[in-house]
Amino acid sequence: MTADTPARRTPAEERLFHLVLALIATDTGLTKSQILSTVEGYAQRYVAGADNASLERQFERDKDDLRDLGIPLETIDQLGADGDTKLQRYRVSRDAYPMPDDVAFTADELALLSLAGQVWREGSLSDDSRRALTKLRGLGVTIGDAVIGVAPTLRALDRAHNPLTVAISRGRQVEFSYLKPGDARPEVRLVSPLALVQHEGRWHLLAYDEVRDGERTFLLQRIVGTVRQRAGTARTAAPGDAERALAELAELWRHNVATVRSQPGSEADVVLRNRRGSHSEGEVLHVRSTDLTLLADELAGFGDEVQVLGPPALVDAVVERWERVVAAHG
Amino acid sequence: MADAREALGTTPDRLTFLLALVPYLIDQVQVTVDQAAAHFGTTPERIRRSVELIAVSGVPDASGSVLPGAGMFDIDWDQFEDEQIIRFRQAPLTEQPRLSGREAAALLAGLQTLAALPDFADRDELAALREKLTRGASAQLAPVAVDVIDPGEVLRTVRAAQSAGQRLRLDYVTGDGDRQERLVDPIRLDSVDGVWYLRAWCVHREAERTFRLDRMASVSSVGEADAHPASLADPAALFSGATSGATRIQIDIADDALPLIADYLPESIDPIPDAPGRVLATVSLSHTAKIGRLAARVGPAGHIVTPEARDEARHWAERALAAQRRGLDS
Repeated sequence: MTADTPARRTPAEERLFHLVLALIATDTGLTKSQILSTVEGYAQRYVAGADNASLERQFERDKDDLRDLGIPLETIDQLGADGDTKLQRYRVSRDAYPMPDDVAFTADELALLSLAGQVWREGSLSDDSRRALTKLRGLGVTIGDAVIGVAPTLRALDRAHNPLTVAISRGRQVEFSYLKPGDARPEVRLVSPLALVQHEGRWHLLAYDEVRDGERTFLLQRIVGTVRQRAGTARTAAPGDAERALAELAELWRHNVATVRSQPGSEADVVLRNRRGSHSEGEVLHVRSTDLTLLADELAGFGDEVQVLGPPALVDAVVERWERVVAAHG
Repeated sequence: MADAREALGTTPDRLTFLLALVPYLIDQVQVTVDQAAAHFGTTPERIRRSVELIAVSGVPDASGSVLPGAGMFDIDWDQFEDEQIIRFRQAPLTEQPRLSGREAAALLAGLQTLAALPDFADRDELAALREKLTRGASAQLAPVAVDVIDPGEVLRTVRAAQSAGQRLRLDYVTGDGDRQERLVDPIRLDSVDGVWYLRAWCVHREAERTFRLDRMASVSSVGEADAHPASLADPAALFSGATSGATRIQIDIADDALPLIADYLPESIDPIPDAPGRVLATVSLSHTAKIGRLAARVGPAGHIVTPEARDEARHWAERALAAQRRGLDS
């Protein structure tokens, strides 16, 4: 039997559990080789004096996993040997690990948080909420009756959402292909991701574009293909960046006003009047959107129930969509 | 085995569960397997297996080596095995872990969404919760934000009627463009990405139906609602764009553009021979009036193949262009 093919491999969560116990129990910290040779889950696969490269890579991934879960993993340099990873010691801070004593939740508050966690239907926000609620249940309070009969949910369907969340929390730069409306081909962008914000039901990324040297906002649904982490250390978000990005989108939304006329009593008429921020002057409706391209898609779908009066770019975009349907179905 | 583990979530989920369970058990002093299972909303079997794992977990001693049998958890085995009572006499992990910055941010963003509900319009517990979550996190909150949407008059009226057990009269425009008056008894309100749906008992149809709030031209309470048997509908099934459609339509579309028609829930997707990157997708529509919208949605990525539907799409777009020309002239 070699080190890589043990009879029973310890399940990953057991290895991580033993790792947390070991790192909390230690006062002075443990070196990597102490951890790999003694902690269950590593020790069975550790070969003294040999190359344990795959086990070391495992340990690197495990460190990231623990940090992702909010476990305060500290690295202590050996005096006079800064950055020497062989001599570095690891431990979990016993001050920073536990929930502060004065953070307590009532049954009603937990009910509210439980409802808040259920807002997320899938993706990393749903995973993060579920784990947060497990931790909060551990505090021992029984969850009260949630607000009944109402359940707002938000989806994070964009494939870019998860990798961007991870990259932001780990402080990594990312590269992705971005398809701007009107462009035939996507462009590769290298950015420091700063914040994820949802506006008008759509996710946006606030990022610092490292090539164009400035802040940009990207619509997640226009990111095509995979998001790749890059080696460069990313700029990090300043407190309030997410709120600022949201405020900027709201400002854009207030200024982007389209004028349309809808056939009275039609589906378009009812839906557009009910749309947030719409107001009417007789037959003419003023409709808001952060993104005229997406608004053009929506308006074109109503066919002859709407006539678009302005701005001119929106009129052209909607007419172009209808002409394309005619041309493609001749 | 693999399936049973899958049901318990991902590796981070299972680790979080262990880290939350241990301090909970210590804090309770003694608790039955069934009580612990009910508290965490899991099975007694999972509690039993977790306790067995925890009870034999050891940590390395100061020299970095594990002494066999010198685990730091000390459980009353007799009580556990004979009476299903969990009582640890000693444990190295007595405190609940903090939330990660991502976990706290996910719950907060969910709370931001709840804040849009009329129920929370004038409650300040949301601010108190924000403060507690921030202090309960081990790192700065992940930069995530969601816009808070004013609920609007329709949602306020519907939610008030639902809470008070009132019947509603709707002036409603259906997905097929028909304008109808309906009397309904509200059951549940759900939203997906900001679009609200009312699940209600339809008095005329004598059956449950789902209504989109943005299709309600007007809504008013009209006295008390009747009592109805509990709804059996699966919430997840309510929001799909698909209906048991009468019209089947085939679309020739680029395979990387399939997300465009994902909410039409294609019945089949087949590769087209000798056309790399293109597929034939079959979708079903409730009404031929919707064909044009589907064609516009597909845009430059493809076209409808089914002959009658192809003609209908062209005529739909020609009517829209004609109305647009008349609209601009008038």
